[in-house]
Amino acid sequence: MSEKQVRQQFADTMLAVGQEDPDLVVMVGDISHGVLQPFAKACPGRYYNAGILEPTMMSMGAGLARTGLYPVIHTIAPFLIERAFEQIKLDFCYHKLHGNIVTVGSAFDYAYLGCTHHCYGDFALLKTLEGVQITYPSTPVEFDTLFRQAYRNSALTVYRVPGSQHGVEFTGKEIQFGKGIKVADGRDVTLIATGPQLKSALGAREVLAGRGCDAEVLYIHTIRPLDEELVLASVSKTGHVVVIEEHMRSGGLGDDVLRATRSLAGVKFASASIPDAFVRTYGSYEDHCEMLGLCPRGVAALVQSEFAR
Amino acid sequence: MNQTNTAVRGSGGKILNKDLRRQIVDMVVAGNNGHIPSAFSIVDIVSYLYGHVLSVDPRNPEWDKRDFFVLSKGHGCLALYVNLHRYGFITDEDVAQFCRKGGILGEHPDFNKVPGAEASSGSLGHGFSYAVGIALGHRIKGAKNRIFVLVGDGESHEGTVWEAAHVARNLELGQLCVVVDWNQSGMQLLPHDDLPAKWKAFGWNTLVIDGHDDADFKTAFDSVRFESKGIPTVIIAKTVKGKGVPMLEGHGMWHHRIPNAGEYAIIMEALS
Repeated sequence: MSEKQVRQQFADTMLAVGQEDPDLVVMVGDISHGVLQPFAKACPGRYYNAGILEPTMMSMGAGLARTGLYPVIHTIAPFLIERAFEQIKLDFCYHKLHGNIVTVGSAFDYAYLGCTHHCYGDFALLKTLEGVQITYPSTPVEFDTLFRQAYRNSALTVYRVPGSQHGVEFTGKEIQFGKGIKVADGRDVTLIATGPQLKSALGAREVLAGRGCDAEVLYIHTIRPLDEELVLASVSKTGHVVVIEEHMRSGGLGDDVLRATRSLAGVKFASASIPDAFVRTYGSYEDHCEMLGLCPRGVAALVQSEFAR
Repeated sequence: MNQTNTAVRGSGGKILNKDLRRQIVDMVVAGNNGHIPSAFSIVDIVSYLYGHVLSVDPRNPEWDKRDFFVLSKGHGCLALYVNLHRYGFITDEDVAQFCRKGGILGEHPDFNKVPGAEASSGSLGHGFSYAVGIALGHRIKGAKNRIFVLVGDGESHEGTVWEAAHVARNLELGQLCVVVDWNQSGMQLLPHDDLPAKWKAFGWNTLVIDGHDDADFKTAFDSVRFESKGIPTVIIAKTVKGKGVPMLEGHGMWHHRIPNAGEYAIIMEALS
């Protein structure tokens, strides 16, 4: 697993891209201010710690885009995606303006901070908006590669930066925006993971192998547009699919997989995700993963209980 | 100027822009939709801006040297439409199709449809923050474009208006000029509402004028320095909702009402 945090890679990528592209502007809501100082120094006049006013920061980002610049708006997920949702909807999406939103603290990454700092409905919210691209880059290489591929296209792109990593070091060549990755072949069940939960999928595959169940593992770093072709090819072969994600059951990747596979007869589906309820407990990120079954043992147990495999 | 308690007297006691007001009423009647009093409240401001202040090109609405005018209180859009029509941004046919299937003009402006409209406003509290971003973007690019934004006093209940005021002042976006349509809509609900004191407290260069008086407009807009880095200016325009037709003035049932034939005749007589 990379020693570098994905958030640090975000700062490093801003520095590198910002020095190449004079149109890149970074605006933060008093988060990551320290790690972005190299960008601020190297790209004077293009870094703003705007204050603690996320809705206005989001609208300002749309205004920057209106002038032809490429804004990157960054702070903690609930304050950007939930509090400033209408600004994303109207000022970016209805206006058809491009831009980039980089969040940290999605799902329950800030586990100890409780509900106010959790955000596990972001995919669901964002998918209601025309044209939004959603990525979940979970290693430094993934962030750097996906950002460079998408930041200057005509859409609004969201990068959900996690606090942990899945431990698989994909190369830049393996990462293609909008394309999933088959990580392991199998014939009995398809495990589809996004974000750090790829680690759980690969761990569960080992547990299942001990039971004689051969699991195929797909990794999805781009939630929207979803690589439906990859999903269909795998699930049409195995007939059984588990989607593993740090998102609410409603509106997450699981729903998209169900929709993508609706033409297949007799497919069995299960979801390892966050129930449609608040996470009201304290403890570490890892504690929450264990509690919610977002771990190798939990996923393997789900396969057994749902598919008798 | 600068007299908070000055009554709205109008331009030498005359009603300005009677032709535009009549056109607004005709559009509302033909389209069977629209906010007449809100448009009458700001039509003199918008008319002065397009006639005397804004540097824009109807043949090239996206001209990169233009001034930006963001109408944040989108429900006043009829005042924008009649000026865009007067100066050739939109056509007779566009106006005739107001609120009709296939038309480009609705009850709120759509910037992807309406040439010259800089924002798709309607949800209050968005346009000002968006305009702050436009102003900042131009400064980053070293461009001198001036940015105007018109917000309502009722709209100023929204917290984002004050977020935007706060950040624009601290970024010293001197090329930004806010006009507040102070028709006292906001004070119906929240009467403790000293807008000039608020803007001064936020550190803005604050002017208070009669929002139906060309002489006040000239003095106010001529005084704004539009420095790329400096204190931004707010022009608080004291206005009358429904200004120009006694039956429509004030805060009541006319906010979103369509005149019937008899009412239409009374309105047109007042605007003759």
